[in-house]
Parts: sequence; structure tokens; C-alpha cells
Amino acid sequence: MDTHHLAPEPQSVAARHNLDGLSLFFLTFKTGLLTFITLGIYRFWQTTRIRKYLWASTSADDSSLEYTGTGLEKFIGFLIALVILAGYLGVFQMVLFYFGLSFFDVSSDATNPAEQVRYLVAFYVQVIAIVPLIFYASYQSRRYMMGRTRWRGIRFSMEKGAWGYVVRAIGYRLLTIVTLGVLAPLATFKLEQYMAERSSYGDIPIKQGGSWMRLYPALTHLFIGTVILLVCLGVFISGYNGLAAALLCVGGVWVAIGFVYYQVKSFAYMNSHKTLGDEVSFKSEPKTIAVIRIYFIAGVGMSVMLLFIGSVMTAIFDLALSSVNVGLIVTVLGYVFIFVLLQAMKMVMITQPILEHFIQTFRIVNPEPLNQIQQRQADDTVGAEGVADALDVAGAF
Amino acid sequence: MLQAQFFDGVTAYRHEVCISVLDDQQALVIHADSLAEPVRWELSDLRALSDSSSTAQLTLTRYTSSVDERDPARLIVTDSDFIAGLRATQPDLFRRDVRKRTWLRMAGWGAGAVGAIALMLFVILPGMANILAEAIPIEREVAFGKAVTQQIEWVLSSSSASTQRCDSPKGIAALNTMLERLTAGRDMHYEIAVQVFEHPGVNAFAAPGGQVVILSALLEKAETPEEVAGVLAHEIGHVERRDPMRQALRAAGAAGLLSMVFGDLAGAALVSEHLLTAAYSREAEVEADRFALDMLAAAQVDVAGFANFFARIEELEAGDIAIPERLSTHPDSNWRGAQAQHFAESQGETTAVLTSTEWAALQAICD
Repeated sequence: MDTHHLAPEPQSVAARHNLDGLSLFFLTFKTGLLTFITLGIYRFWQTTRIRKYLWASTSADDSSLEYTGTGLEKFIGFLIALVILAGYLGVFQMVLFYFGLSFFDVSSDATNPAEQVRYLVAFYVQVIAIVPLIFYASYQSRRYMMGRTRWRGIRFSMEKGAWGYVVRAIGYRLLTIVTLGVLAPLATFKLEQYMAERSSYGDIPIKQGGSWMRLYPALTHLFIGTVILLVCLGVFISGYNGLAAALLCVGGVWVAIGFVYYQVKSFAYMNSHKTLGDEVSFKSEPKTIAVIRIYFIAGVGMSVMLLFIGSVMTAIFDLALSSVNVGLIVTVLGYVFIFVLLQAMKMVMITQPILEHFIQTFRIVNPEPLNQIQQRQADDTVGAEGVADALDVAGAF
Repeated sequence: MLQAQFFDGVTAYRHEVCISVLDDQQALVIHADSLAEPVRWELSDLRALSDSSSTAQLTLTRYTSSVDERDPARLIVTDSDFIAGLRATQPDLFRRDVRKRTWLRMAGWGAGAVGAIALMLFVILPGMANILAEAIPIEREVAFGKAVTQQIEWVLSSSSASTQRCDSPKGIAALNTMLERLTAGRDMHYEIAVQVFEHPGVNAFAAPGGQVVILSALLEKAETPEEVAGVLAHEIGHVERRDPMRQALRAAGAAGLLSMVFGDLAGAALVSEHLLTAAYSREAEVEADRFALDMLAAAQVDVAGFANFFARIEELEAGDIAIPERLSTHPDSNWRGAQAQHFAESQGETTAVLTSTEWAALQAICD
């Protein structure tokens, strides 16, 4: 079939992500406006078009990814989810409102322990009703995206298993909460493993290697930040308020950075320990500092833009105020404009740069056996990611 | 002969291929040593992937009538002349082929979704709201109502510079006289608490738990105390029928549902919530009117005042665009006025609800 390669050393190819930020900005902005005009219905097509664009911009070994999902199937999935969720959530929310009335209740008897217990129960029942759906949606959403992604004409896929994921996700999260975060790496590892090991590329399954214990180094900075906050508490109790305030700032920032560090490092570890079949493996080396830099630049950039736009809008508004109706129209249009603009800016300043960083630091080790991978029958994921769309948990794109 | 890359859709192997268009311009043929035999694609079946980030290359696939409508094989061409030629000659190149049954399926689920939501919004939620509004303990409703009135005050003060609670002692005394006159000898579920807020809107609201708010402009625009008594009786009607509670419960259920339908378009959800409220409340308004007429008659207050007030609203609606809210949430004022007028004609003996001194004090309650 091919000439023999002299390749005893495992070679590797880097993933690439090349796109024109301006085109992505206009694509997001244009589809955002369409979404407004269509009262939100176009949002399924918006997401699909942005995904197509991002996928097509991502390549490895000179072949780009392809997103084959369609706005129409996403819309149908959403309608299906609406039919199911309409009953469940509508009734649930009202019953809760009945029991949760006390949240509005300013002057009530908050010292009465029985009342307090009732408030807490109402609150947690609300959380418990929604949480399984969110986990369900996140599994289905990833499954749908995998099923609609191709590389070199071959499909990715993910087996059914959303309810199994829901059960595990709730269990591991509870474990994390009960152990005050000490078992967070176990939850991260097991949940990613559950999703990864149900995934395949063509006919070859993905395997998750490594051990959850090895995720502990990723917690380093969260740990340091927490220690600083505990010291801060001690200092505050001892009465040194100035020092406590300084420590609170340092500790707070450290925890925030530590959180990003954990996300980045656990992503790197989990992906560097995945293999496709037994031969092809991956290397992921994202840098926390790069992600923080993106957030920082985006924060400054978007604030400056907002200040500028805000002052322009105020000037226009002052001019338009001569008539109530014109003022109202200007306000509505201004709201739409800023909303859509922010969405597009967030896409090109945060979402896409972070995606780009994670892709550019990703390598496929020993890609040669990919050539033998066979296509797998398409599975019809009816319902797309409708629940995620209805609950708005589908993520940034 | 052009160089291109080809993925056959069966394996992930990348074929380096040559492509040529047949002389009759009907098909292209893909040749490579690594392919078992040349692949032939009709030009009219060619489809290109849209929303691609690269203008220098085009990914082609082929329309088939199989399950996912497209051949899984992909042909990647980079020759700009060839790409330009395809774009110019193949009108279906970027067509999105949709399975025939898809539209049917969408129509089916669309109707199902609309039906399910309509059922929730117009049958199940109002029904549950009725049951829950009856079941809620009064003291909880009162606490909730106080929080609502505070919020109303807060919202009003953010839209107008001079909002405050009006509480001149003589005005309050007149208000209480009116209230006692209306409720005397009646078996009331709620203890009615009336407040006046200084605001240029001609309006009054009932909040859950017996809280009634009257805006100062209503007192100024009213010509007789009987008109105010009519409005007050109407709001008491809402309170006694637990309409505000029912409304709040239903809105809580609808809010979640509507925000799901519209995604993060908060504005659209708010507008439809308002329309929904309007649809519900017309019936409640008619019932509250009936209650008010009955209450006024029992208290021997002249109902003609109430009828007059509708005429006044009609005038205001014609002149001022600030009341379309009342327009949509309330039945036609003409019709309501006629109902009250009709009732007034059959009314027996009546006495003034306030003395002229008391009436002056009430109108000056904000000073």
C-alpha cells in the first residue's frame, strides 16, 4: 500500500489552529443580530456556524477537523427537550415557589430553627432538581459534538451513558464536598475517564491511563491560596484588620489563579494519558500563565471598549431624549447592540484564544497507525443536545 | 490533472490523488495508486463545506440519498482556478440538503412543543396557582405582600425622582374612614393595609396579603371620593379573591419556562410574560369589578362615581400613551363603565362616603 517507513522512534505531529479573528468576530456579530431578530430561534444555527468555523480552523497533520452538525437538528433537539422539560420544570418551580416563599420574606422569624430548616430544604430541593439535568445535558452535549466531528473523513463517536454519568457525577461531587475538596482529583479523574472511555475515533476506542493520585500536584496553588486565607482568618480574629485585609486580597487572587491552574494542569494530565487504541498517544502542555494572560488582556480590552461605547451611547441617548418614543427605540437598539457586541468580543478575546492555546499545545504522538483506522457506523443521536440548549449549559460555543 | 487530497470515508488514510474533469463536464474522476479503482463523482452532486476559515482550499463531498445525505468521503482541493470554476458553474455547491421527513419531524415536534408550553402556561400553571394560592397560610402571604409593596416602592422611586410614602395624618384618617365604610359588617379574610405613593401614574395595585397601593395622581385626577372608593373596592376585590397571590405563583412557574424558550434573550421573555399576565387578568378584572359593585352597594356608596371613573380612564387613555398597560390588562373601560352605570341606575339610597373636608385631606395626603 505504501513504501516502508523507517520510523522506529515515535514521531509526533502538532495540532494547529489558524483563523482570522476579524472574520470570526463578524460571523459571531452577524449571527448574534440574526438571533435577536428571530427572537432567539437562530441561536442554534449561530452555534452551529461558529462551531463549523472553529472546527475547520483546527488541524493536525495538515488535515482539518470538520463539524457536521446542523442548526436544524439542534433546533429539533431543543423542541424535544422543551416538550419534556416544560412539564417537569414548570410544575417544580411553582411548588418550590410555594415552599420557598420565605426567601422574599424580609420580616419573618429567622431565629426559629424550624423555619430555618424549611428554608434550607426548599433551597436544596431546588438545586437537587436541576443538578441531574445539568450533568445529563453536559454528557449529551459532548456526545453530540463527538458524533458530529470528523477528521480525515472518519467520525468520532461516544456511546450512550448519560444517566450513568449523572449518577457518578452526583456521587463524586458529593464526595468532594464531604471531604472539603480533598477528593476533587478523584472526581475529576473518574468523570473524565467515564466520558473518555466511551469515546472512539472510527473503530478504535480511546483509553484513559494514569492515576487520579497524580492529579494532586495540580492542586498546589489552590492549596497555597487556601492556607493564606486560613492565616488571614487567624490574623483577623487576633485583631490585625489591616494585615487581614491585605492577606484576603492575596489569598483571594491566589485561589482564583489556583483554580485556573487546576483546570489547565488536570486537562494536560488527563489528555497526555489518553491513548487511541494501544499505539497512538497524545501530549498536552498548556500553560496556566498563557490562559491568565488571555483573561487579563480580554478584561482590560473589553472594559476600555465598554467605556468608550458607553459614552457614545450616552451622547446619542441625550440627543434622542427629546421624544419618549425615540428614546425608547434608541435604548432597545443600544441594548441589542451592546449585548451582541459583547458576545462577539468574548468569542474573539476569550473563548477562541483559550481554545487556540489548548490546541496549539496539543500533539499526536506516533500518528502512523491512524492510517489503518476504519469508519464506524453512524449512530443517530436524536435529540442532539436539546436539554443543554434548553437549560443554557452548552458552554461557550 | 490536478493534485488533491482524498479521504475515502472508509479509512483515515490520506490518499494523494489526481483529479480530472471528464470532457463532457458531467463528472470528475479521482485517481490514485492507493485507491483500488478510480472514483467518479457527478459534478452536480458535488457539495462544498460552508463556514470554513480558509479561502485557499475547498473541501468537497458528494450528495447521496443515504442516511446522512452526504458521502463520508472528502476531497480537498487547493487549486484556485478549479475552485473558482466550480463556484461559477455549480449552483448547488453550497446547498444544504435536507431529508424530506425532516420538515415533517420538525413540524411534529414544533407543534408538540407549542402544545406542551401552551398546556403548561394556560392550563396547568393557572390550575396549580389556584390550588396553591388557596393553600398558602395567610401570615406567609402577608409577609410576602409586604416585601412586594417594598419592591413596588423601590421600582417607582427609580423611575420618578419624588416618590415617597404619603402619610399626612388627616389624609390617612380619611383613607381609614373610607376603608371602614366599605368593609363594615363584612366578613373579610384579610386585614387591608392601604398605602399611597407619590407618583404621576394614575393607577392602583393590590399586592398579596391585603396590601393595597394607590398612586397619588389617581387621588388628584379623581373628582369625587366615590370614584376613589370604587377603585379601592375593586382592589379589595382582588385581595379577597387572592388574585395577586395567584398571579405571583403563576408568574414564578411561567418565568422558568419562558426563559427556556427564549434562551438568554431576557427582553423577549419579559415581554411575553407581560402579555401572558394581560391575558390572565382580564377575567380577574371583571370579577373584581363585580365584587366592587357589590361592596359599594352594600356600603350604600354611590356607584355612579365608579362608573364616572371609567369614563375618566377612557379620556386618559386617549390622551396619554403611558397607560397602554391598563389597556391590555383590563377589559375595555367603556364596557366596564356601562356595567357600573347600569348597576347605578338600580341602586337605592346612598350617602356620601367622605365629607368635603375629609376629601380635601385625602387629596392632599402627599403634601
